[in-house]
Amino acid sequence: MDDTPEAPELSLFLASTAHDMKNSISVLSGTLERLLVAASPQTESAYPQMAHMLYQTKRLNDNLMQLLALYKQVGTPAYPFDVQPLELGQLVDQVVALERVLLASRGLKLELDYDPSLVWHFDEDLMVGVLSHAINNAIHYTCDTVRLAIRATDDGWLELRVEDNGPGYPPALLRAGAIATRDTAGGMNFLTNSAGLGLYFSSEVARMHRHRDRHGTVRLENGGWYGGGCFILRLP
Amino acid sequence: MNAPARPVQPVVEVDWASKNYLVVDDFVGVRQLLRESLRSLGARNIDQASSGGEAMGLLSRIRYDVVLCDYNLGDGKNGQQVLEEARIRNLVNPSTVWLMVSAEKSVESVMGAAEHQPDAYLIKPITEGVLLTRLNRVWHKKQIFRLIDQACAEKDYLRAARMCDAAMETHKAHEIDLLRMKAKLMEKSGDPVRAREAYERVLAQREYQWARAGVARIRMANGEFEQARQAFQSVIAENRYYIDAYDQLALAYQNMGKLDEACAVLERAAKLSPNSVPRQRNLGNVALKLGNVPMAEKAFRKCIAIGEYSIMKTPDAYLGLARVCGQKNDPKEALQLLLQAQREFTGDHPDIALRAKITEGLVYHESGDYRRARKAGDELEALLNATEARPDVATCIELATLLFAVGVKEAPVELLCYVIRNNHDNPLLLDEVQQIFDKARLGDEGLEFIRVSKKEATDLMNQGVLLWKTGRLKEAVGWMRQARRKVPNNQRILFNAAQILVSHLQQHGYDAALSAEAYDVLHHVERLLPGQQRFAQMMEQLAQLQPGADGGTIAEVA
Repeated sequence: MDDTPEAPELSLFLASTAHDMKNSISVLSGTLERLLVAASPQTESAYPQMAHMLYQTKRLNDNLMQLLALYKQVGTPAYPFDVQPLELGQLVDQVVALERVLLASRGLKLELDYDPSLVWHFDEDLMVGVLSHAINNAIHYTCDTVRLAIRATDDGWLELRVEDNGPGYPPALLRAGAIATRDTAGGMNFLTNSAGLGLYFSSEVARMHRHRDRHGTVRLENGGWYGGGCFILRLP
Repeated sequence: MNAPARPVQPVVEVDWASKNYLVVDDFVGVRQLLRESLRSLGARNIDQASSGGEAMGLLSRIRYDVVLCDYNLGDGKNGQQVLEEARIRNLVNPSTVWLMVSAEKSVESVMGAAEHQPDAYLIKPITEGVLLTRLNRVWHKKQIFRLIDQACAEKDYLRAARMCDAAMETHKAHEIDLLRMKAKLMEKSGDPVRAREAYERVLAQREYQWARAGVARIRMANGEFEQARQAFQSVIAENRYYIDAYDQLALAYQNMGKLDEACAVLERAAKLSPNSVPRQRNLGNVALKLGNVPMAEKAFRKCIAIGEYSIMKTPDAYLGLARVCGQKNDPKEALQLLLQAQREFTGDHPDIALRAKITEGLVYHESGDYRRARKAGDELEALLNATEARPDVATCIELATLLFAVGVKEAPVELLCYVIRNNHDNPLLLDEVQQIFDKARLGDEGLEFIRVSKKEATDLMNQGVLLWKTGRLKEAVGWMRQARRKVPNNQRILFNAAQILVSHLQQHGYDAALSAEAYDVLHHVERLLPGQQRFAQMMEQLAQLQPGADGGTIAEVA
């Protein structure tokens, strides 16, 4: 027997609170985006602070989304995993739509390199979540450009790369990445910061995507197109 | 005409500015935000509702092109219930775009079974860009499926399936969805071989659990219950929320005579998806059959509670709970429930008075009050004598059993003869009826009743076929009309009647009245037993006989 009397009420309470928090974050980020679009650094003295507020709001949203997914046991059959065929154009459009204002407000360029008509099979909501989180992360490390490149490899994988032209990830993050994303679910000791949470979430999402006997993977490295940090997600 | 090597998205700009929008959310901040986003798309006509009830009020007055509806709407109806009611009451057009919004990934989006699905599920926060992307995607998909859906609504399943094949050629991105649709259409057409073919084509690309479940469903229909059971179980192991597989698994167990296991599966499904009226109802019915009174009571009570705001509610839970009360020796509450059921369900359920009275009789009979049970039996006899109409087969059987048990003699015999006349070629049912006669100590008489009733039906049918085969079509049509009046629910007779009407149309030219009559007959058969191959084939023939029919060529889909 796994049902304790308190459990349903607590989960109901958590669900409705999360619902409410999402509403608040939606209104916050929506309002900030609207203000930023209407303003410019020349006319608005608080422009950089507003841009920073938006960045922090996005981080808050990412964290909440990841916690909710983990609470719903992402990575296990208990998660409502929903794979659909989708054209990459549809995926990228949504990621761009989520990140456009934030990137512009920080004066950053988003480079895209992908075939919009390529069809792949994945959970759209999770993938939008992983990619926009990776881009938010790259915004922190980049100099002035973030690059999203997606291609089908010759051996049947879809490789999605989020790269930046900054100095690269610090060694501690690369180490955390290696632990968080390795195949055997290593202990929780790497989860000492939100970078660990994000990586763990992303690698669980990748692992859920299976086809025949292969499953998705995530890794971090320095290098890529611009020699900066690279977040690499591979889906079967 | 070569198909282009790569799918070309039609570059049709949708005019989102001129559409009518409805935004439903209980949080004013989100409503304002969505309204602002829609305004940036140029939208001018945007209505708002803060609750399910308010949304229903607006939906019943105004036709919306786009509905953005939050799933959680506080007290009252939730978003899914608003959608179901709007669709069932035809308050939205087939072209209406319905986007369901929620704070997190919703379980409903992967359950697979819900009959009324929104066009897309969106997760907050929703920015303008995401909204536009999803609106455009849904719109384009609706364009591809518009004519297919229309043919499907007209129940011309075979034509719809051919349109799926044609659309796959030009819309590679939607190939999987089109195969899914085609498989469903072939299942509805009683053609499991081609349905399975479509599912296997999906599985060759990817391991989609709905396709696995589809193959398993076909194996179950084929009598391979054990293989089907294993397949449904592995679907559930892969995706715990694929609720459809639980219902099917329970059915597989029922077919194997394992009611306890079926009940346990339904209980798990009801736990995962507690707010589904039909699921709680199924659980209650199976638990009642098993004699698990506490579980039946819990399921029926839950069913009534969640049904309060749902258009999916039916009297079954009230009747079931009344039975439960009878078995708990509380006939007083049982009677109250029956009164309540008759108050709440009138228009859409013309047989509610009869069904409530049957349940009343059962309650008294089971609680040992034979005097009142007999009184209910007499009242039922009077109800039957007052009308020609008879309820469905299951109710007839239940009613006849009850009437015999309380000592009524003539009415149950008449009912059972009616059942036989209308199902003269169903050996399982014939056996069941014979058993009822045996139990009532009327074994020999029953044998004779069954023989005579079978012969009546066979004679009616054979005479019609004879007239048809000897070329006396007009007479055959008239004969079958009369046969249908005598035996209104006999599928063989109905199919033959439709076939003779089609022959008449083919040989003597199109006639609107005869065509409408054939459609009426076919729709009636489908209501009696959906998914028959003969139905699909005749619907296709009939559609091709309509003036201006394209003779089966493929309509262009953009």
